[in-house]
Amino acid sequence: MSGDATKALGKGSSAPGPVPEGLIRIYSMRFCPYSHRTRLVLKAKGIRHEIVNINLRNKPEWYYTKHPLGQIPVLETSQCQLIYESVIACEYLDDAYPGRKLFPCDPYERARQKMLSELFCKILDYQNTTFFGGDCISMIDYLLWPWFERLDVYGIADCVSHTPALRLWIASMKQDPTVCALLTDKSIFQGYLSLYFQNNPNAFDFGLC
Amino acid sequence: MSGVSARSLAKGSAPPGPVPEGLIRVYSMRFCPFAERTLLVLKAKGIRHEVININLKNKPEWFFKKNPLGLVPVLENSKGQLIYESAITCEYLDEAYSGKKLLPEDPYEKACQKMIFELFSKVPSLVTSFLRRQNKEDCSGLKEELHREFSKLEEVLTNKKTAFFGGNSLSMIDYLIWPWLERLEALELNECVDHTPKLKLWMAAMRKDPTVSAVLIDVKAHKGFIDLYLQNSPEACDYGL
Repeated sequence: MSGDATKALGKGSSAPGPVPEGLIRIYSMRFCPYSHRTRLVLKAKGIRHEIVNINLRNKPEWYYTKHPLGQIPVLETSQCQLIYESVIACEYLDDAYPGRKLFPCDPYERARQKMLSELFCKILDYQNTTFFGGDCISMIDYLLWPWFERLDVYGIADCVSHTPALRLWIASMKQDPTVCALLTDKSIFQGYLSLYFQNNPNAFDFGLC
Repeated sequence: MSGVSARSLAKGSAPPGPVPEGLIRVYSMRFCPFAERTLLVLKAKGIRHEVININLKNKPEWFFKKNPLGLVPVLENSKGQLIYESAITCEYLDEAYSGKKLLPEDPYEKACQKMIFELFSKVPSLVTSFLRRQNKEDCSGLKEELHREFSKLEEVLTNKKTAFFGGNSLSMIDYLIWPWLERLEALELNECVDHTPKLKLWMAAMRKDPTVSAVLIDVKAHKGFIDLYLQNSPEACDYGL
C-alpha cells in the first residue's frame, strides 16, 4: 500500500483515476487528527489502501466532487462510493472489512464506546482498565488517540500531569504497533505548525523530500 | 406501555426502583424531540418498555446518576445498564432487539444514513434558537438558515428518487429527523418547507405511518408547552395533564 509520504495535491492538479479493485482510497492530510483516526483503523485492520493527501489551503477543484465542503477524511471505494466524517468512516471500515473487530460485539458495549466518544471533551471518567474499552486496545482508543499524540507538540503535555491513569494510557498506546507505525516525529509536527500559522501553502508537505 | 402520559418526576421525588426483567425503561419528557426519537424506535420495533417522564425545569437529584449531563432520553435496562444521547439509544435498540431492522445491514447504506444524519445536524439548534428568540424581527435570518438546511435534505430526496431518506420504506434516518419537522407547524415555520416539495411530501407520508401517528402530539399541546417552557415554568413538562 502506498505510504503517507506523498505531496499534497492542490489547485490545478489532475484528479486521481478510479480506485483499483481490492483497494480503498483515503483522502487525507498528514497532520490532520481526524484523518489520523481513519488511518489508524485502516492500519489496525490491515486494510489495503492508498492515500491521497490534499492541500487544505489550496484545494483542488476536483476535490469538491468527493466532499461538498472539501473536508477530509473521505473514503472512496472501487465502486465509487464516498464515505465521510471521520467517525462514520471508521465505523464503515469496521463493518465492511473482516478480521479483527475494533468495536465490541455487545450492543451495550458498543453504545458505551459511542457515548465515551461523544463525551470525550467533557468527561475523563472511565473504568479501571488499561484501555478505554477494556484490557485490549479497541475503536474508542483509536478515536481519541490523535489528540493525545498532539498534546506534546502543542506544548500542553502538562494537562495530563494530574491524571496518572491517562498518562499510563498514553504510554500503553505508544506501545501499540499500529499507533507506532503512524506516529509523527515531534520536530516534523512542529515544522508543519510553524509554516501553517504563517499561512505557508507548503506546510502540508513539510518533511517530504 | 406504561408512563408515556404520566406526570413528570421532579426534585424531591423518590428514585424509581430497578427495571423489571423483560422491560426496558426510557427516561423521557412528553414534548422533547430528542426523546421522541427513542419512543419512535421503541414503538416501531414493538419493544416492551416503560416510560418515566422527567421535569426538565426541576430535575430530580437522582436523575444525574442516570445521565451525568441530566438530559433525556436515557435508556435503563434490567441489568442497570444506562445508555444516553438520542441517536446512540436508537442504534442500541436496533442492535439489541430482534425484529425489523431500522438500520440497513449493508455497511455502505448504513454509512449513508449516518451521513444524512450529519447533514441534518444543524437543524435542532436552529429550531431551539428560533424558539428562544426574544425579538420577533430577528427571525428572518434564522428562517433563511433553516430553509438552507432543508434544501440540503431536499437534494438528498431528489438524488435518491425515493419517498423516504433511506429508500422506499421508512427507516431509522426518517425517525431521527421527523420530530423537528413535526414541530414546524406549532412554531409557525411551515414556510421553511415552501420551496422543498419533496420534503413536504415526505412529511405527509410520515404522518400516515402508524408509529409516527401513535407518538404524534397535536399542535395545540405543542404550543401550550412552548408557552410555559419559555416562561421557565415548572409546569411546562406536564402541560395538558
